[in-house]
Amino acid sequence: MGDPKRSGVDLSRRGFLKSAGGLAAGGALGESALSAANSGLLGDGVERLSGEVEIELTLNGAKRKVKVEPRTTLLSALRERIEPPLSGTKEVCDMGSCGACTVHVDQKPAYACLLLAVDCVGKSITTIEGLAKGDELHPVQKAFCEHDALMCGFCTPGFVMALSACLDAKPEATLDELKEACAGNVCRCGTYPHIFEAAVAAQRAKQGAKR
Amino acid sequence: MSALDPRAQDGAKPGKKKILVPKVENGHETMVEIEVDDVEGPQWGPRDSMRLVNHELVRVDAVDKVTGRARYTHDVRLPGMLYAKFLGCPIAHAEVTVDLGAAKKVPGVVEARVVREGEVKFVGQPVAVVAAKTREAVEDGLRAIVLGVKPLPFAVTREQSLAANAPEVNRRGNASKPNEDGDPEAVAKAFEGCAAVIEATYEMPTQHHACLETHGAVVDVPTNDAATVYHSTQATYASANEFKGPLKVKEVEVVNEHMGGGFGSKFEAGVEGRVASELARDLKAPIHLMLSRRDEFLCAGNRSGCVQSVKLGGDAQGKLVAMQSSIDRLGGLGGGSHAGLPYIYEVATSARTMRSVYTHLDANRAMRAPGHPQASFGMESAVDELAYALGVDLVEIRKRNVGDVHRRQLDRVAREIGWNEHPHKTKPDLSDATTKVGIGFGLSVWGGGGHPECRVTVEISPDGGVRASVGSQDLGTGVRTYVTAIVAEELGLPMSGVTARIGRTSYGPANASGGSTTSASLAPAVKHAAFNARKAFAEALAKTLKSDASEIVFDVQGVYDARSKRRLAWKDACATLGPAGISAIGEWQANLASNGIHGVQAAKVRVDTRTGELKVLKMVCMQDCGLVLNRTGARSQIFGGMVQALSYALFEQRVVDPDLGIAMNANFEDYKLAASLEIPEMVAILDDEDTRGVIGIAEATVVPGHSAIANAVHNACGVRLRSLPLTSDKLLLGLAGLKKG
Ligand code: FES
Ligand code: FES
Repeated sequence: MGDPKRSGVDLSRRGFLKSAGGLAAGGALGESALSAANSGLLGDGVERLSGEVEIELTLNGAKRKVKVEPRTTLLSALRERIEPPLSGTKEVCDMGSCGACTVHVDQKPAYACLLLAVDCVGKSITTIEGLAKGDELHPVQKAFCEHDALMCGFCTPGFVMALSACLDAKPEATLDELKEACAGNVCRCGTYPHIFEAAVAAQRAKQGAKR
Repeated sequence: MSALDPRAQDGAKPGKKKILVPKVENGHETMVEIEVDDVEGPQWGPRDSMRLVNHELVRVDAVDKVTGRARYTHDVRLPGMLYAKFLGCPIAHAEVTVDLGAAKKVPGVVEARVVREGEVKFVGQPVAVVAAKTREAVEDGLRAIVLGVKPLPFAVTREQSLAANAPEVNRRGNASKPNEDGDPEAVAKAFEGCAAVIEATYEMPTQHHACLETHGAVVDVPTNDAATVYHSTQATYASANEFKGPLKVKEVEVVNEHMGGGFGSKFEAGVEGRVASELARDLKAPIHLMLSRRDEFLCAGNRSGCVQSVKLGGDAQGKLVAMQSSIDRLGGLGGGSHAGLPYIYEVATSARTMRSVYTHLDANRAMRAPGHPQASFGMESAVDELAYALGVDLVEIRKRNVGDVHRRQLDRVAREIGWNEHPHKTKPDLSDATTKVGIGFGLSVWGGGGHPECRVTVEISPDGGVRASVGSQDLGTGVRTYVTAIVAEELGLPMSGVTARIGRTSYGPANASGGSTTSASLAPAVKHAAFNARKAFAEALAKTLKSDASEIVFDVQGVYDARSKRRLAWKDACATLGPAGISAIGEWQANLASNGIHGVQAAKVRVDTRTGELKVLKMVCMQDCGLVLNRTGARSQIFGGMVQALSYALFEQRVVDPDLGIAMNANFEDYKLAASLEIPEMVAILDDEDTRGVIGIAEATVVPGHSAIANAVHNACGVRLRSLPLTSDKLLLGLAGLKKG
């Protein structure tokens, strides 16, 4: 899922824009990144990246307008910019190494912290809030409840989105494939055995529904 | 020691009795004597009569968690809220100056402040903070801060700290005065009679709590001498006091509906709580200050590492005769923790010295069973080495030196892991096979008892609604669920008939969740409150029905008055109550809790001798914990402990460059946690022969897993890995060493 080809992310560009460490003093940022935004030099040689653009995202089936900067990630747009916020998608590592921010982009799993919001225009995005059909939980959500596949629950939205994407695309997925589908997700509480039980139960429920 | 230890009962006032209970502060447990009422109270009753408690329960907040509705501190958004983040010192020891001029001019930045200037003593220590309207502006602001960093000599490793010309880390010396126990001369004598003696040094690295939700708080603007603070904390009730000072208010309501883990690291408001409060007060804007992932690794605590040198001797049958050990706890600027040796084994004569060695790194904090995983690794490895030296079966040597409960559990776990048919019981597999399978064992203990701190309110309203309230918190253990189950059971209601409210200071006193004391402290108080509510309801109904309270029965069909033989539906019975309904208080009841738990774990591993690949195939845990409140939840806890120990065994260690004093792996890319592909088959067995009251289960389950895995590696291929993590390079080096002989 961290695969840049699958999620359609230009990793190098995002890494460049977000300039990871906050340690460097007065870090210089290049100009090529600024095409869509205002840019300018402040005093003291600090170059700024700012300037908001309004974009429209298709979120859980509805069109939502949101003001973002070119560097704003989808994760940050969901959690911090959209009103009211969609904070079910969690931020844990903000660098593609934990899976907590997994959403569906055009039905495929993707890490929202590795996507720029502006790159998501025109795509259909489903977040954990939009996975159930009204009160009817997705089979993965239901199985997670029944098999106690969650403890603190902070990793849960990510696991649910990763496994539901897998099963929606391939209802006959095997346990190994399901493990692979959430191999990039981390659960510090260590709920894995119950997650696997839930994944298999959800798979059976999906198979049953198909027949 | 039992919570009802008779030795403690002398000298109590009439109608009172004195008992010993565990008291946990910051995860460290000591026994203290308290006086409690000597009266008849509620009883759990026979287990087979239970309808909800001790059953497989679905968490009452599960749907909120799988739909993204559960609100964590990270998710709190308030009107006009500003985001804030720290800038940390980039090296281990420095003289720091902070220039905020440029940062303050960054658009969107509302405030930039110095958190600490002058001497900074560990890498990642916060030195400045930026508050801004957006997260992007916070990042810009942090980047614009100009730090003046004058490096000072540092010590980030034990060796550096103990070297002749080491820089001063601690004013009273870089190593604390050793704490000594036992008579070394008697031990030296005892070694003379041993059939075999082994000597070895075992090392453990620093492990991080790695809570998925980082530390922090969202602090609302104080008004009229009061403020609301959203805080990811293990101490919802107590932490309110910590915010009063920096907010300069008399009343603080801490809100903590859900939290993304704690594991012992979240007892205090910390620098993040203090700074967020000061900013909210001064800027008159709500402040969202959650640590970044990097900060979380560097300044939010850890499990201390250790170096432990052990000499252990036994007789020909495997009875442990003599042990001498010396332990260095490595807790950075903190004292570190270690449960001591010979840990849970009975050794006829033993002596030890233990001290802290200080380094320029973030201080350790309590972490799930503080000091126990370290002691387990030293002791279980040594016992294993001695067993091979003596040629005694690995299960037998353990059974010979522990108590009854552990012996019973060892037999059961040995059967489950396949020990009885395993061919290598007294010698490792030294054949030429390229893939080899081995088995190892480890044992655990913990207190997990309760004490009187919780006050629970159970209210029954005339519309039939029931709610239970207490200012406790749920770290992921399922507190709301067992609170609901206990009240529903007592009142004859389904789970859906009761609402459990936790996670707010105003819901009433509750203990901090540390040392596995939440269940044993809270569940008895919940039971007591439900019991009192039922009695009060029965009395009120008796008046209305002209019956006697003792004749009123609450069961799943509603309410039954045995005198008039009348049955009322729950709602109709509640409708007879006045508008105030029933409100009852419950407090801790010593007879409903107990203390002191035992566990045994085993691991089966496969080693590839060509590549050094280590795969854990299966883990088994058997654990007692008194009355199990929720069987599914208890198994989740057991799995969680095993997974964290497996992760420590295979991957986890803080890496700080010893030459540069910089952090090398303060992120989830480089600090690896075990995930789905590393999880073996796992079996959790609840020890139902334990008939005691409620005891906490969390800590014990994390204690022995890594020891069992390391022992299994040796059993598989003859390589004894004496330091964690158990990486392929160490394994290959060991295998090469074996070949050379
Ligand atoms: S927050 Fe996106 S992968 Fe960790
Ligand atoms: S349930 Fe806590 S991190 Fe997975």
